[in-house]
Amino acid sequence: MRSIYLKELVQYFSSPFFFVLACVFVGVAGVFFYNAVAYANLLATQMSQYQAPGGISVSAVILRPLFMDMSLLVILLVPLISMRLYAEEKAAGTMELLFTYPVSDLKVLLGKYLAGFSVFVLILAFSGFLTALLAVATTPDWGVVLASYTGLILMGGTVLALGVFASSLTGNQTIAAAVTIGGVLVFWALGWFADTVSSGYLGAVLRELSLAGHLSRFFNGLITLKDVVFYLLFAVFFLAVTLRVLDFHRCRG
Amino acid sequence: MITIDDLTKVYGSRTVVDRVSLTVNHGEVLGLLGPNGAGKSTVMRIIASAVPPTSGRVRVMSCDTVTESIKARRCIGYLPEHTPLYPDMKVESFLSFAARIKGGRKNGVKDRVRNAVIEFGLEEVRNRSIATLSRGYRQRVGLAQAMINDPPVLVLDEPTQGLDPEHAYEIKQLVKDLSGSRTIVLSSHVLSEVSQLCSRVAVLKKGRVISVDSTEELVSRHQNHTRITIRVGERLDQALKMIEAVEGVISASSSNSQVIKAETVRDRDLRPVLAERIVKSGIPLLGIAREEMSLEEVFMKLVAGEDATRA
Repeated sequence: MRSIYLKELVQYFSSPFFFVLACVFVGVAGVFFYNAVAYANLLATQMSQYQAPGGISVSAVILRPLFMDMSLLVILLVPLISMRLYAEEKAAGTMELLFTYPVSDLKVLLGKYLAGFSVFVLILAFSGFLTALLAVATTPDWGVVLASYTGLILMGGTVLALGVFASSLTGNQTIAAAVTIGGVLVFWALGWFADTVSSGYLGAVLRELSLAGHLSRFFNGLITLKDVVFYLLFAVFFLAVTLRVLDFHRCRG
Repeated sequence: MITIDDLTKVYGSRTVVDRVSLTVNHGEVLGLLGPNGAGKSTVMRIIASAVPPTSGRVRVMSCDTVTESIKARRCIGYLPEHTPLYPDMKVESFLSFAARIKGGRKNGVKDRVRNAVIEFGLEEVRNRSIATLSRGYRQRVGLAQAMINDPPVLVLDEPTQGLDPEHAYEIKQLVKDLSGSRTIVLSSHVLSEVSQLCSRVAVLKKGRVISVDSTEELVSRHQNHTRITIRVGERLDQALKMIEAVEGVISASSSNSQVIKAETVRDRDLRPVLAERIVKSGIPLLGIAREEMSLEEVFMKLVAGEDATRA
């Protein structure tokens, strides 16, 4: 598993793709951050003009909107990380080579998944300088910051599992990314449909399956076992399905 | 050692490999021959554990390729057809990956990579991206990854395909050097190559093995006639008539103004008789030689013969 993990990392870092992805992610997150800070500044100015009592909540005005925006970025970022994991092997014909190396499909899958996950966490970590910047001017609620990053990492891991599954279905990386984004958007929007489709049992199930629904609690600074287990189970499910797809490919030659 | 028992592979409704049974002994080089779609690559993929069989079993060094797949894979170096490699990796880092994933001595990865780079003549390109390599170098990298952990069994699918004569010669030399110490299964469309490298040849057609023999036995078993080439200085027509009249000559024909090719019965060497007749008649005899049937001719005969038998 370690050799697959290292190989994938070498492949990620040997092309400018990783650096471009990291720059775009951090750059766009920076724009969101600037926007949130500018809005907070405007709010603070208005409050002082009207001599409103109390101050603004950094968590409510800056952190929560920032992390909400970053969660949308993660939805776009992770499929670009996961798209190559199997699709590239299929396109290059190296799946056959990989199948003949003395390592199980599960270990190959985990090696690839963990490499993609590491790359995602690394890119996400670059955005940490934004909260560090905030800490220079004010004191952010570190609990909210920690919970929000935990939520983003868990959701990113889930999207990555879906992306690995999509990548195992095709030899075309663009299709893999498109399928992942499509799939994530469906799971993201399930909560929105829940109320319109049904207010009963089906509605509750749809709400529970919504990626966005579970994320909001993290942005409020709450890490609940239910949300953590949801993301983990989601990821495990798609990794297990990917194993079945690989088995199918092996049998089909 | 490789043992293949009653191996069958079915894709949908198409039987690609049909009840193939073969044994490849230690140190032996077995060549797989057959027209396109005969099932050679599928047999090799199954041996290398890339594909499971539909029925039957393959054992590599006594390990079943399905139930003891990982153990079996440790014993095999596999070079697939068209040599798939990671284009964005550098040669050395790809070989390091192959060495690590194939296991063995942990501290030996660097040594094994260094040895492979030297053995396969990759010093010049060791830090180059695989995407920028020529076909010959790609093939060498493919072979180097197959042999990086010094496996006792090698499965090489068309190892010289697309190579220029110089590179093809190098690869053939390499296989020759390895024969005797390793069990090798290789396929090739170049029949002369198979006859040079392989101690035995299995001919496949439509997924079935139609013949397994050493190249010499294969040729001699399927050679019904002996071909004699006679070169005369002049009076070709007269010499041709004379040769046709000799008892034991089945047919004779001339391809140019000096050369006569005669098909004769297999159990007698007619060269002394033919030479004597030509010399006695005063026709200058420039040369007389017996030609063995080529493996290519045997192959064509076998493949065509199977069709005729089935029809």
